[in-house]
Amino acid sequence: MPGPMALDDIRVLDLSQGIAGPLAARLLGDFGADVIKVEPPDGDSGRRMPPFFQDDPDPEKSLFYLMLNLNKRGITLHLDTEEGAAILGRLVRDVDVIVESFPPGYLAARGLDYASLEAENPGLIMTSITPFGQTGPYSQYESDEIIAYATGGMMAISGTVDREPLKHGGFPGQYESGMNGFLATLVALFTRDLTGAGQQVDLSIQEVIASTLVINQPFYSFAGGVQGRRHPEGSNFGQVMPCKDGYFVAQPGGGVTWDGIADFFGRPEIKEHRFADPVERVRNGPALDEIILDATKDRTMAEMFKTASEQYRMLLGIVQTPQDIANCEHLAARGYFEEVDHPTIGKIKLPFHLWNMSASGSTCRRPAPLLGQHNAEIYGGDAAALRARGVI
Amino acid sequence: MTDDTKLPLAGLRIVDISNVISLPYACGLLADLGAEVIKVEGHSRLDTTRGGAITTVLADNRVGDDPWNRTGGFNLLNRGKKSVALDLSRPEGRVVLTDLIKVSDVLMENFTPRVMRNWGLDYPNAAKLRPGLIMVSCSGFGHTGPYSQYPGQATTLEATHGLAYVTGYRDGEPSKAGQSFVDFLATWALVSGTMLGLRYKHRFGKGLWVDVGMYQLGTTMLSERVLDWEANQRLGERIGNRHPFLAPQGCYRCAGDDAWCTLLARDDAEWAALCRTIGRPELASDERFATNDLRRTNHDAIDAIIGAWMADRTKFGAMERLQAAGVPAGAVFDASDIHLNPHMRARGLLETVAYPPDRAMGKQRMVIGRPWKLSKLPLAVRGPGPRLGEHNQEVLGGVLGYSPERMAELAGAGIIGTQPSNARKPVSMSMEERVKSGRLASWDPDYKERLGIED
Repeated sequence: MPGPMALDDIRVLDLSQGIAGPLAARLLGDFGADVIKVEPPDGDSGRRMPPFFQDDPDPEKSLFYLMLNLNKRGITLHLDTEEGAAILGRLVRDVDVIVESFPPGYLAARGLDYASLEAENPGLIMTSITPFGQTGPYSQYESDEIIAYATGGMMAISGTVDREPLKHGGFPGQYESGMNGFLATLVALFTRDLTGAGQQVDLSIQEVIASTLVINQPFYSFAGGVQGRRHPEGSNFGQVMPCKDGYFVAQPGGGVTWDGIADFFGRPEIKEHRFADPVERVRNGPALDEIILDATKDRTMAEMFKTASEQYRMLLGIVQTPQDIANCEHLAARGYFEEVDHPTIGKIKLPFHLWNMSASGSTCRRPAPLLGQHNAEIYGGDAAALRARGVI
Repeated sequence: MTDDTKLPLAGLRIVDISNVISLPYACGLLADLGAEVIKVEGHSRLDTTRGGAITTVLADNRVGDDPWNRTGGFNLLNRGKKSVALDLSRPEGRVVLTDLIKVSDVLMENFTPRVMRNWGLDYPNAAKLRPGLIMVSCSGFGHTGPYSQYPGQATTLEATHGLAYVTGYRDGEPSKAGQSFVDFLATWALVSGTMLGLRYKHRFGKGLWVDVGMYQLGTTMLSERVLDWEANQRLGERIGNRHPFLAPQGCYRCAGDDAWCTLLARDDAEWAALCRTIGRPELASDERFATNDLRRTNHDAIDAIIGAWMADRTKFGAMERLQAAGVPAGAVFDASDIHLNPHMRARGLLETVAYPPDRAMGKQRMVIGRPWKLSKLPLAVRGPGPRLGEHNQEVLGGVLGYSPERMAELAGAGIIGTQPSNARKPVSMSMEERVKSGRLASWDPDYKERLGIED
């Protein structure tokens, strides 16, 4: 049994859909909070997101939904009915935190804006996670991962200059925003512990991405420089390069000298000033690429990763696949994975613990809820009548 | 101005032994929240962002007398902190660190795991120095497991934690994107772990240790792909800027120099709105594009049509037209847009920080604040990054009460200092050459006027 947890006195109502909001609410649950997910009668849009278990597009089998909604109970509620909005107003009285991702103004139009809810429940924290934030000329703009990556400044510095700007694969910006929603909620909770006052958290997904521009942004505000995409030739050191059976990335720094890097590659000419000096290295990029590509064409990823890390204390990564990660013995040794028993799909192993703690660490206590699974538990005897009226 | 004493972490003291990006940035955010952050750094082994790398930029690209105090990245990441420059490689330096831990609430470090252990300052030992201590560690692979002693930084981890495998042009090679991706996950995990620790201590009176491994955090961003492997034995493929299950989605060239705009249509209604906006309403009923699956199959044809429309429009013009019709669209913002775009300006993510004249960095600079606002807690970056060893006297003489004789002894022996003993040569490359060599796309010599910051 886990001991006391940092958030085991907190109740959360998760009204959000998709990736970012549900992840923020899940993390509150992971660290002890009681999280109730409130979905529209046709379910969170996340239930319709692939990949699905055994590729069956059943709303109970989205692997995305399954992973983002661990540690939650689930109820349905039709907020576009007057009665549904009134019920939400009552549910809010018993919670500490609301996580929501509606377009700005949606809740206000139903009399459920922060000021109204706070009047009923002083100390309430409402965490609003939206593409461009609650204010400003773009607040009503539509968005998705690629829009956040473009307007957040990441695509302008990704890919090569001869081609279009590139985004990361997958949905990392949404995960990053979920982590920030969790973080900002923790700040609001800690503040409430001290002052008793709740508040609204206004998170912009665009700004989450832009917050990662810690090299790019000061280049402009300290010197007027605008970074772009790299040239395909002569800038490969520090980028993905091929080797015998796959790909690797090496970079200077860490516990190794430049000479040590030359020794790792077995090419003494790398020690010459034209490569050892960081400015000269830029000027002589194509020659350096050629030497390293030749030096690694017969070496394997596994050998280079082990040799560089263990013998040279050198920074070297290898391009691992999702399969490699699923089977990674290091992650397994750190207890990263959890197995849940889901009512529809059965037992499945999930990536779970974002980090480890000596006490009060994350715990996986229940699988994602089926749609409306806990209606009877939360609404009690009213559930049947509410269902008959189309409210749940 | 915010009243610092009203900030949630006012009165909290943090010892921050950090290097590079992840942990320095985390402690910078904790300083924004009101903590007294004491950065313990080496004058014999400078923090990487104090200079010497091609990715660091000096104020106005001038080397000056003390370049290590004047890089943009360091000042952004280490805002609002105090600096104690201490040689931790020597036992006398570690005595000073031990004294600091005894009077601090939180200890944060991002050495490879063996370092603090070898110094007898791992969590069980550090907690003996200060009962109730919260300790937060960040490393490439975490403190346990077979890779725990492997070095790791964001650039190389982006491959190992799997993100490079799913990133890259369609049918092309794996690729990195952006800069130092996993560092920022670590930053937010470290702040979150600290806040959890503080609340735990507040409620239960006990400290704890947070062990953040960047590899583990990075793999979490691919959870759905790992699950797709677990459930369906599918590895997935690289699809560039396309969406894994919706169509169309892409990044298209607009009128102007290296100008681009992205868009997607998530359902039939958005597809119809897109067709109307680009003056091709008939495409909404074209049988080649009638369903999402057909749009995925015929994506190339759609790209050609959208590309032709985009080519005559500016990136912001295209974005605004499409958004007015309810179509998700976003211009590709470069660093100048991040500073000058009206929405960014209205939101105020970037904050203006004042610099005293003796820093020789101009009177004002803009740095990234925080991507979230709290309605009753006005926050602001509380000051520039510290000069190397700027607070040696204030912290060791003041907080620890070291005598003038002890301070002189430490300075004389080189245990504390204010000058680097072996600084890397600052990068001296003109802005013009940076553009010419491809390290920069362009340079705005009049950037201060554009930003409205005082020189």
